[in-house]
Amino acid sequence: MTRIHLDPSARSAFSGQAAPKMSDYHHDNKCTWCDGCGDYGIWTAVKRALVELKIAPHEVMLCYDVGCHGNMSDKLQGYRFHGLHGRVLPFAAGTKLANPRMPVIAHGGDGASFSEGVNHLVHSIRSNYPIVFILHNNGNYGLTMGQASALTWQGQPMNTSPNGIPERTLPSMDFVFSLEPTFVARGFSGHIDQMVEILKAAINHRGFAFVDFLQACPTYNHFATHEWLLEHVVDVKTLGHHDVKDRKRARHLAVETSTHIATGILYQDEKTPSFYEQLVPRQKLKTAPVDEVQRYDVMEYMKEFV
Amino acid sequence: MDSTPLTMTLRSHILFSRMNRISIKVTGAQGQGVNSVGEVVAKGLKRNGYCVFGYREYMSLIKGGHSSYQIDLSNEEIRSNETKVDVLVCFNHHGLEQNWNDVKPSGLILHMTPQWKFAPAPEKALRTAKITVMYMPVEDMLKALKFPPIMANILITSVVWAVLGQDTGTLKSLVYDQFKHKGEKTLERNYRSIEVGRRFKRQFLQKVNVALPRARARWRNCMLLTGSHAIGMGIIHAGCRMYVGYPMTPSSPLLSYIAGEQNRTGMVIKQAEDEITAAQMMSGAMHMGTRAMTATSGGGFDLMTETLSLNGILENPSVFGLAMRPGPATGLPTWTAQGDLMLAVNAGHGEYPRCVIGVSDSHDAFHLMPIAFNLAEEYQISVIVAYDKQIGEAIYTQPLYDQKIAKINRGSQLVTDEGKLKKLRSTDRYDPNTKTGISFRWLPGSHAPTYAAQGDEHNEDGSVDESAANAKAQMEKRMRKLATLKAALPEPELYVSTEQGIRTVKNDQSLDILIIGWGSTKGPVLDVMEEFRLPHRGRRRSRPLRVGYLHHTYLWPLRAERFARLAARAKRTVLVEGNYQGQLGLLLRQESGVATDDQILKYDGRPFFTDELYARFRPHLA
Repeated sequence: MTRIHLDPSARSAFSGQAAPKMSDYHHDNKCTWCDGCGDYGIWTAVKRALVELKIAPHEVMLCYDVGCHGNMSDKLQGYRFHGLHGRVLPFAAGTKLANPRMPVIAHGGDGASFSEGVNHLVHSIRSNYPIVFILHNNGNYGLTMGQASALTWQGQPMNTSPNGIPERTLPSMDFVFSLEPTFVARGFSGHIDQMVEILKAAINHRGFAFVDFLQACPTYNHFATHEWLLEHVVDVKTLGHHDVKDRKRARHLAVETSTHIATGILYQDEKTPSFYEQLVPRQKLKTAPVDEVQRYDVMEYMKEFV
Repeated sequence: MDSTPLTMTLRSHILFSRMNRISIKVTGAQGQGVNSVGEVVAKGLKRNGYCVFGYREYMSLIKGGHSSYQIDLSNEEIRSNETKVDVLVCFNHHGLEQNWNDVKPSGLILHMTPQWKFAPAPEKALRTAKITVMYMPVEDMLKALKFPPIMANILITSVVWAVLGQDTGTLKSLVYDQFKHKGEKTLERNYRSIEVGRRFKRQFLQKVNVALPRARARWRNCMLLTGSHAIGMGIIHAGCRMYVGYPMTPSSPLLSYIAGEQNRTGMVIKQAEDEITAAQMMSGAMHMGTRAMTATSGGGFDLMTETLSLNGILENPSVFGLAMRPGPATGLPTWTAQGDLMLAVNAGHGEYPRCVIGVSDSHDAFHLMPIAFNLAEEYQISVIVAYDKQIGEAIYTQPLYDQKIAKINRGSQLVTDEGKLKKLRSTDRYDPNTKTGISFRWLPGSHAPTYAAQGDEHNEDGSVDESAANAKAQMEKRMRKLATLKAALPEPELYVSTEQGIRTVKNDQSLDILIIGWGSTKGPVLDVMEEFRLPHRGRRRSRPLRVGYLHHTYLWPLRAERFARLAARAKRTVLVEGNYQGQLGLLLRQESGVATDDQILKYDGRPFFTDELYARFRPHLA
């Protein structure tokens, strides 16, 4: 099977221009996040990863869900999309399948991804769409002023749950691993270098890359604060030898967060083909669906009905 | 059983005077072979030179239930079914109980239920109407031949075929086409069954012959296909390269067809996790610059409406198929309705331009698809292509499509030229100052300044802008496209009876009756108009009635001027619609201030039948 997507050298040749700089991604709009918001770090890491991969703004599709992170959609250059709450993944998948040459990065919060649009997360992982998904994980609904999400810890008084949530917290990493993902990484919004490294690997990954970025929400998240996260995150590289192909250990590292939180690329399976590669009718085609719009002769189809 | 309904329906049938129409209905449990017999007979008749119009009724289950396959045929063009049939085939006793009253005088009931006896009232009514009731011991016949039960289908088909006076050659060639891959033995059994069936006809139904009108060559090389097949071919022809769907009757046959052809078309096919996904994936693919489509029925469309609204503000071209069935809720899943016109026109929060198109038959189903994509891309809007179960599953006799008609218009404001792309500014994407409301569109990946396709209210380059001035300017920009589109859309078509048959005319006319409709009602309305052309028994007129039918293909934005002009000159206006409220009538009134005089509405899940519609017109003729 041919891998139509993601050959950075081929892409630069295609664009025929100088390597992009950080300033190429600059947008005049001023950031509107709260002071200390984790989105600043993720915003910087995304731009840096793209620049380091020599991807120019016009060569990338950036898709945003609705939430605080979605306010990134007009704070950088790139072809951007800012859609409906919970629905970023199917739109992003649609863009990728139409033009597999273009790297597609989808962003969503923990509210959108584990409540409103959790079905899309399930099926995107299962489908193994060749896209990156960045989970902006701040443990609450920030933009609607601090309600509990499915990932908020129990016992935390939140807007609309003054006594803490009566539900149990959704074990997100266990859930994701149960879906047999092909790429799982975790980062922290305070560690930009590591996020850049993760994103570069995610963009070059064959299938669906699930990237969980733990981020501070200084206004509403009073449990997993920036300081708390700083104290608890540990680079997986410092936890002894870890083979990213070892799904069992990866899952254990991802799920077991009682003493420390392992970050970095936890799991990667490059053997499983992406959704696009699995499509039998596409396997012999060198073009992308965006190249193929024309009037088609249907005589042979019509004859079958005579 | 009361015999009153029979006398009543027989009387109404007699008033329906067209002589060269014949109907055959096959009934039975789902999975019993009803479709198999129906399909072979329909295809055979078409090949022998008849225009066939087929109609299926079935229930929302897989095995059992009561289903039927009806074929109406003529040597002239017919576009609908009658409620009454010449031949009724009953695989089981349910058909005998439920459908005996559907048979025309001197007709035939062919059944397979041993020792069947009608109750005294129907027995008497059937005798009075000179209807032949013939038991066919299919099981015994097959046992004698040592053939498996599946051969019952061809055996029964052969009897019907002989009753219709058709040659065995066509039937044998159809059998050959269908079973050649199954080997010599199967073919031999089929041929033998055909002979046995013919012998049965000669022996027991010697005097029962349904005389068909003279065959005409013009039908022989036509296609016999459903509206779903036609839409499927239409979207392939239109350059649609991705189809995303979620199963829901009656949109599923389109998904099945287009998915079944994927290895030939090379299209990307995705059966999504739900209709929201289907709508979003289609929208994402369209945003990137390919052509993509999704289709669903009312309930699924409800789920898609937030995405419809999103495409409104993104100014993202998109095409939605809306295959209607009766609601509310799950309603009547396998039946037909035109009840979702208001839904299509009004669905989704906020105000934004869209285009709603109504398919009326297999011709439209094909030719409107490239148009739907062109409109979506020219105006950067969503186009909703509404059809119904009747169109999606009815069987049409359709000449091969003219493949030279369709134009592929990617949009006059689409920028692809490298030089022009370089000159673009990000702020050109949603520039609110264009006269038409349509601004430049360029595709992600283009070597050009970038922009945000922004779901929040935004300014020229897609940056969020909540200022009053911007909100006003962008709303006016988007809504200006609706006015631009409305001015460019074709007016509704006026069909009138002429010496040469029913034709569309460009000029307005003074009419005795102006019929107004959309979608699948066109077929039965035109067939009824053929009736109005015939001399009417017991009704002396100095001149034939001047009847016109105003058919609305483009339903939103709605051009109501022609309706208003014609209504002002017509003696009577009659709205014909498959819904309770007369939704097109409401829209026409909203847009023109003119109400229709009379309404013929139907909302029982069934399409209009020609004889039924004719009878319902009678009170309006006075």
